[in-house]
Amino acid sequence: MTTYSILIIAPLFFALAVLIGGLRVRNILTVVFVLVLAGASLINIFVETSTLQTSLSHSFHNLFILLDSLVLIYFLWQGIIKKHNFVTFFALLQMMLYAAVVFFSPSTTSSDILIDNISSIMYLVINIVGGTIIVYALGYIESEKFSRFKKNGFIALLFFFLSVMNFIVSTNNIEIFFLLFELTTLCSYILIAYRGDEISNENALKALWMNQIGGLAILIALIVSITQYDTVYFDMLISSINELYLLPIVFLAIAAFVKGASIPFDKWLLGAMVAPTPVSAILHSATMVKIAPYLMLKLAPAMSGFVSVTITLIGTFVFFSASLLALSKDYFKEILGLSTIALLALMMALAAIGTDEAITACLVLIVFHSISKALLFLQAGILEKSFNLKYVNDINGLINHSPLVVFFIVVGFASLTLPPFGAFVAKFMAIESIANEISNNPLYALALIFIALGSVFLTLLYFKVLTKLLAKDVSQEKEVHVHIPKLFTIPSFILLFLLIIGIYVIFEKEFLSSVQIFVPMILISVVPLLFATLLFKKAHRVKEYYCGEKEEVQLNMYYFDIPRNYKKVITAVAIVLIFILILGAML
Amino acid sequence: MIEIILIALAPIIGGLIYGLERVVRARMQNRKGPPILQPFYDMLKLIDKQAFIVNPYHSILGIMHFVTLWVVVAFVILGQNLLYVVFLHLLSALFLIIAGFSVKSIYSHIGANRELQAMIAYEPILIMTAVGFYMINGSFDISIIRESSPLLLSLPLVFLAFLMIIPIKLKKSPFDATEAHQEIVGGVEIEYSGIFFEFLYMSKWLEYVFIYLLLILFAGNSQILGAVLSVGVFLLVNLVDNSTARIKMKHLIKIVLGIGLTLSMINLIGLSYV
Repeated sequence: MTTYSILIIAPLFFALAVLIGGLRVRNILTVVFVLVLAGASLINIFVETSTLQTSLSHSFHNLFILLDSLVLIYFLWQGIIKKHNFVTFFALLQMMLYAAVVFFSPSTTSSDILIDNISSIMYLVINIVGGTIIVYALGYIESEKFSRFKKNGFIALLFFFLSVMNFIVSTNNIEIFFLLFELTTLCSYILIAYRGDEISNENALKALWMNQIGGLAILIALIVSITQYDTVYFDMLISSINELYLLPIVFLAIAAFVKGASIPFDKWLLGAMVAPTPVSAILHSATMVKIAPYLMLKLAPAMSGFVSVTITLIGTFVFFSASLLALSKDYFKEILGLSTIALLALMMALAAIGTDEAITACLVLIVFHSISKALLFLQAGILEKSFNLKYVNDINGLINHSPLVVFFIVVGFASLTLPPFGAFVAKFMAIESIANEISNNPLYALALIFIALGSVFLTLLYFKVLTKLLAKDVSQEKEVHVHIPKLFTIPSFILLFLLIIGIYVIFEKEFLSSVQIFVPMILISVVPLLFATLLFKKAHRVKEYYCGEKEEVQLNMYYFDIPRNYKKVITAVAIVLIFILILGAML
Repeated sequence: MIEIILIALAPIIGGLIYGLERVVRARMQNRKGPPILQPFYDMLKLIDKQAFIVNPYHSILGIMHFVTLWVVVAFVILGQNLLYVVFLHLLSALFLIIAGFSVKSIYSHIGANRELQAMIAYEPILIMTAVGFYMINGSFDISIIRESSPLLLSLPLVFLAFLMIIPIKLKKSPFDATEAHQEIVGGVEIEYSGIFFEFLYMSKWLEYVFIYLLLILFAGNSQILGAVLSVGVFLLVNLVDNSTARIKMKHLIKIVLGIGLTLSMINLIGLSYV
């Protein structure tokens, strides 16, 4: 058995195994399973270095068609019983198109499974980061008031999600890709609706119909690809692509935009916050949204000229806009969510540029974004569970009673902005690869401005949030000790460890010179050391200077008032750009 | 060897520029002004003072701001990657900002927030400048930029954009709202005193060295042009400082980004057609 089949099939059995059994058994089993998956993904990248291609038997194809029909029927059923017209409409539309696709599906075959370097890297992200989040979810879900079966079901569903994700990055058949795309939609739908209250249902339905647009785009791409290129395989489509007829690529790219929650499809990801925090963590970091840059990377060799420039422009524009919109938010998870949308758009833009350097930058960003975002979402979960905090402005003197959480959040934010962390390297390479393109097409200068502005907005956003976290509450005399369960802190430490490994990888791959890595690393790591050792015992302590004012002040986080119509303008521009993309590819 | 001496002396050189500036500014106002060595007299006095701190984190972060800035200057002198230097400079700014937020003081918070906002204005321009150099030389390495022919001719608009951010970094009118002595009592600086303030004071000097080192990159390998540029800009910045009033942060961002980004974009697009 090859590692890829273990990665795809084993989580399905794991999902069944954790469904039954009590708390202790389930927890031990889950940890073992996660270790197995992480080990398998590591073996895959170190042992199987060559590209692997195989085909699946005919009965598998029939099974997939059956599964796909069932999923679509389920969507239709949900649309009808929840009385949601969009869902019903899109489900029906997809059924018709899918029937057409199955009917006209050409007999030419290529390999169904294709595992290259990109897949191997995605395996790492999905299984190691995703697995860490599952371990975290063990502790998180116990603090909710659900039945044992429903709690176990939650963990099982997360394993199922990993299986689907492992499969989606291994397939070369667009029909199978469509099925898996729909399955991730299904998973997210169930996970978002998990709490079962009104908002959850509403947001789950929103996620459902928006993601169905993505499914629809894939089906259209399939039909065009069958009629024009007589194939349903990525590799055949890409190798036989005609520069004048890129419509299938464009529609697949739109599916990526939907999955990546790019503006104007951003609402579903932000709505997903109502679900238990591990869901947000896993959606934002290891699974679901990462399909978007992955798909773009897969399509990159086929993109050229107009399509490549336009997708880069859309991506960088969304990067800029989402960062701008995040400045006015107060809900911690929403801030994280918008920054995910921004960074995903940047990844897609990089993939669309398609040069070697841009693709490396995109991969680096995929990996490190997932680690940092997972770390941050875990902290968001801890804030909610242990401190009952959701809004940044309610956080007061957190550094007094939980310096560890503050430390993780600071590391999370710093790792997204500063050298020598991976996300910084990606930003660095992004600017360089765009600078290389300006001489080919002046429009890239605009993309460069979007990147420069977007990245500074994100920095502003992260460090503005720190205002509330770092402000020490001096008046609070007694130490409040809040107990944070080990299942919460251990996954955070694992992610921290992964970030450090990441720095080593950057060193190994020589993305930065050793001076460029070690100097900032020393500068950053010396700070906590100094905090612990230098206490300035001899210096006199004074209170802050209030310029004669006697009143104590309560300082809040700064907001940047983004006028409402900005959001409308941004959405309108994004929609227009997408239409330009479609029209341009048609003409 | 000369680089190491330069790096070691960087704060002192910065202090001298600062002292000279005070004289020049005073002369522009028909005053005599302090002696050139005044900043160093201030320094001696500050070191002698009793140490007062609000909390240790605040003081440590202030020192880290200084240290990082010194490293940044060292990187520039050693001819490292310019884009990297821009981001490392961001790290130093962030140390100061976090320090500002780590005390419960209104003025410090407002100051730190304004530093953050000022970042929106200067950071993109610095990136565009770096990209401008890159497009001509095919490299971000400062050592290579220094050896090319004068870049001012091919990057005139980027140069103008860069000029606009100098007053922000040096806390000069009209773009000095980040510090704004009369209004927010120095912003981030307010809670520092004695020896700890000294580090902030020296950071300011290093900022001078940093900005002027970047400025002479526009001269490429021509030392004469470099000298002309730095003297000219030195006089210009002080003249503008003397003759303008402070503007609000909001306007600062709008003006600098609006004009600066447009100018540099036109320049970069122009380069692609040459």
